[in-house]
Amino acid sequence: MSARNPGMHLDLEWVSKVRVNTQAVHKRAQQIQGRKVAKKQWQAAWLLKAVTCIDLTTLAGDDTPSNVHRLCMKATQPIRHDLLKSMDMHDKGISTAAVCVYPSRVADAVKSLKAANSSLPVASVATGFPAGQTPLKTRLEEVQMAVKDGAAEIDIVINRTLALTGQWAALYDEIRQFREACGDAHMKSILAVGELGTFTNVYKASLVSMMAGSDFIKTSTGKESVNATYPVAIVMVRAIRDYYLKTGHKVGFKPAGGIRTAQESVVWLTLMKEELGDDWLNPHLFRLGASSLLADIERQIYHYVTGRYPAYHELPMV
Amino acid sequence: MAGVSTKTVHDIFQTMEYGPSSTSTATAQSWLEKHSRTLGFFIDGKFSHPADRQTQDVIDSKAAVVCSTVCAQAEDVASAVSSAAAGFKTWSQLSCYQRAKVLLKLPGVLQRHSQCVSEVCELSQSTTSPAVLIRLAQYYASWAQLRDTRMPEWSPQGVVTVVVSDDCSVYFLLLKVLPALAMGNAVIVVPGKTTALPGLLLAQLFMEAGMPAGVLNVLTGSEASLAAKMAQNPQVNYLTFSGCRQTGEAVAKAAAGWGVPMTFSLSSSSVCPFIIFESADLDSAVDGVIELAFKKKRDFQWVLCVQESVLDSVVARLKTRMAEMKGVPLASDPDRSIIDAAIQEAQQQGATLIQSCPPASTGGLYPPTVLCGLAPSCESVISPPPGPVLPLITFRSSAEGVTLGNHSPHGQAASIWTEDLTLALESAKSLCVGSVWVNCHSVMDPALPLCGRRDSGNCTDGGREGLYQFLRPSLSPSLPRSSPSSVNYADFGSAPSKFMIPEVFDPSSVPRFYSQLVGGQMRKADSGSSRSVLAPGGAVLAHCPDGGRKDVRNAVEAANKVQPGWMKKSPAARSQSLYSLADSLEKRRQDLAVSIQTQTGIPLEEAEKEVELSISKLSDWAARCDKEQGGTPFPPQSGSALSTPEALGVLGVILPNSKPLLSLVSVLGAAVAMGNAVIMVPSEKYPFPALEFTQVLQASDLPGGLVSIITGGRDQLTQALANHSVIQGIWYWGSKEGCQFLQYCCVSPLKRLWLHCEEEEEKEAGKIWTDLNPSFQEELWRKAVVWKSIWIPTA
Repeated sequence: MSARNPGMHLDLEWVSKVRVNTQAVHKRAQQIQGRKVAKKQWQAAWLLKAVTCIDLTTLAGDDTPSNVHRLCMKATQPIRHDLLKSMDMHDKGISTAAVCVYPSRVADAVKSLKAANSSLPVASVATGFPAGQTPLKTRLEEVQMAVKDGAAEIDIVINRTLALTGQWAALYDEIRQFREACGDAHMKSILAVGELGTFTNVYKASLVSMMAGSDFIKTSTGKESVNATYPVAIVMVRAIRDYYLKTGHKVGFKPAGGIRTAQESVVWLTLMKEELGDDWLNPHLFRLGASSLLADIERQIYHYVTGRYPAYHELPMV
Repeated sequence: MAGVSTKTVHDIFQTMEYGPSSTSTATAQSWLEKHSRTLGFFIDGKFSHPADRQTQDVIDSKAAVVCSTVCAQAEDVASAVSSAAAGFKTWSQLSCYQRAKVLLKLPGVLQRHSQCVSEVCELSQSTTSPAVLIRLAQYYASWAQLRDTRMPEWSPQGVVTVVVSDDCSVYFLLLKVLPALAMGNAVIVVPGKTTALPGLLLAQLFMEAGMPAGVLNVLTGSEASLAAKMAQNPQVNYLTFSGCRQTGEAVAKAAAGWGVPMTFSLSSSSVCPFIIFESADLDSAVDGVIELAFKKKRDFQWVLCVQESVLDSVVARLKTRMAEMKGVPLASDPDRSIIDAAIQEAQQQGATLIQSCPPASTGGLYPPTVLCGLAPSCESVISPPPGPVLPLITFRSSAEGVTLGNHSPHGQAASIWTEDLTLALESAKSLCVGSVWVNCHSVMDPALPLCGRRDSGNCTDGGREGLYQFLRPSLSPSLPRSSPSSVNYADFGSAPSKFMIPEVFDPSSVPRFYSQLVGGQMRKADSGSSRSVLAPGGAVLAHCPDGGRKDVRNAVEAANKVQPGWMKKSPAARSQSLYSLADSLEKRRQDLAVSIQTQTGIPLEEAEKEVELSISKLSDWAARCDKEQGGTPFPPQSGSALSTPEALGVLGVILPNSKPLLSLVSVLGAAVAMGNAVIMVPSEKYPFPALEFTQVLQASDLPGGLVSIITGGRDQLTQALANHSVIQGIWYWGSKEGCQFLQYCCVSPLKRLWLHCEEEEEKEAGKIWTDLNPSFQEELWRKAVVWKSIWIPTA
């Protein structure tokens, strides 16, 4: 992996200067959605790229070792082998970027992957996911335990109370502590944009999270009413660009929640390409948090290879 | 193509390129095929294809010949005009509802053929979305419906010729054609190279919507010579042009003097400022820059103005956004050497470049380029080079940003970026342009008037305001149609005036010497010479200054100083000043009545009536000061839009012989009420009442210099007014030769002309001035203002 973002001191002057024009952002989002990728092999290649950026996720109350195991196996072979072979992509290491589970399931996932000889990282949500409304002490312990169980990536949720009331210094300190608790594990900060009110707040929270050393910033938990939308993503990736221009550190981006179709995944890649450039088109700097997206992509690839649309039972389930 | 299709999934997986964009033009091709790839004219509701005409190739973006069009000759113009004249008869006799019904069908027809329309536009390098055209059609269909209820007392002009230059877009073409049709005119379109195919196709689609034959005709060929031939035809009533300045100038010069009123919208060669203030959402602003500057075809030219404090941030963002951009196709081959020369010159003056890659020495592509560190004096800022090249200049304070934006011969539009509402509104108000886009750019919608200032145009398109160019008050006489005389444009108005030689007078009645009012002071002519004012019998009534070029210069200087302050005054304060002027006129009513009587020889009773009416007219204008206002058009997307009337600036007026006082006061009232300064030349024959009126002006509390009255030879003073670039508009009542001279000369720099021929005027015996019909008053104030539309989109 590329060099991590070490973070920086909290620069409140920078944060206070942030200005976002909502309608202009919406307009840009429409423009990006209008940008078309060519069909045929271009579409197939872009979809495969999307697959390699997926954090294949299960975050449910009824998760058990068996469905976590299935998830891990699907993550290592996301597309049917014969389909990959006909595109000559079977030996190019196509797998999802990671699997993402609750802290209590980390050990199960690590075990399954180890048994399958896979080096795929396990990501865990933490810090009182999804609301973040638990005491700081328990949130820190949660991070430490997930790391101890073998999680290589931690998706923390930020404290929306602090962000909404403008206590940026306090928020910065909290995230700093999470980062320390993560140790070598990469940290993705979930902003829960649906609960931040304005684009300006989203931009500011993005900046503060990056200053505190986040390796990724992530849109939402998937549990809020508003999830990853293109306009809000534009605001966040602009903050990433701004941070990169000022510090030289590249921070990754992870939209999550509500991403279900192959078409959407292509728009997300387009958005990254247009706003940040080709550097951000790989799993080190871009992730898609999703669970049902993979099935739709596999269907589209099946169609590209065979010219037919498959029935669901023709593709392996998660 | 072979190289492209062999790309494997793995190659693309690594490069992550978008791949070739596939655009099919099959529908358009089959339409062209149907016409054997040679399109004739569209006359009298059908394609006509006379033999033995020169043809012109239409080429697509890859320089391949798509089809050819035919070049019209004199006889084709004649048949198009007679078809249009017949079409006008049918069309204008329909009711508003019947005309609206035809226009309402148009969106449906466009929808049905949207594939063909967009492909034909694409093929002829004039990309337009059918949705935009549908919006235009819907907007004007409702104006067609409302003409008689909202604009009673106004009639269509008749046969209208719409000429556009090669680079004019289909949108701008229809922004002329549709309102003309909606108001009941018949239209002859002379399209440019890129609009020829779309124009012909649309004409065909209008027929499908049920338009009577002859109402819309399309003639292809060379713009200037066709325009001249149209102007010569007495059945053409109005000619309007949209496009670039070069072609516009050629059209104006070719068509001058035939008595056809002409207007010009020169948007495509306008240079517009794109101002980024430090309080802007910089990322969005840079998005805007990228979107508008690096296209093959731009609606306007742009200069990027960035506040110094955010220059580095803007440049850094431009660099990242531009890094991945590919070369942009150039419009033509010679463009490359123009760009190279411009860039070289800029670099010699210390400019630095932001470029995604160095330009290849050949080929049709040029990389997007920003020229940083330029000064307003650099050639690339004054007239930006073609192609994807954007000049960037910096400013210190927000006030300086506006000053920089205003310091230009153009006045089409400006885009300003700030999150500070007060700053946005203040800047929008101070910018001397027709359209201000706040935190957005190039928003086009027929509801928002486009009204170029200065060299960007002399007419208003779009909105309710844009309809009036296709209407005339039902009562006013039109310019008489005749062939141009051989006016020597260089010599016009340079004949020396008659020298006054000492004569013998009865010592008891030596004629009084009057002064003229220049810059707020009673003065002699700068030349020192004077002329006699003769009574109808030939007796010398008085002596007055023989004003000339220098007097005009002095008056303009004073007017230019005082006008901005006058415009900024509250309308209520302007109103009070005009009321007080009416009051002073009232006090001297007897003197003025006598002056009219002695000058024109009409009975005193009639002269008193004229004074009475003058007082009333002046009070009218005083009352209208704070009543005539703009509106808030419904914008195309969510947000707020404003459309406000503003003063033109300094106006020059050559007054008619008829009703010497009433005409002077009516014109003065309209111009001054709307915030203009005005330089008036009273009738050469009857200057006496105007000289008397200077006393009234002196006694009023209008700021000195706002109104100047210069007496002297009409032609000399016309020439002087025409040759002063500060003067934004000339209203002329005078000779046919004078009209011809003004039409020819006031193109560069462009002025707003309102021409009247005195022969017609005298036939009517000044009825237009005494008539109480409101439409002439409305026309007066519409001529005295320009429109500014401000568009503030919100989420």
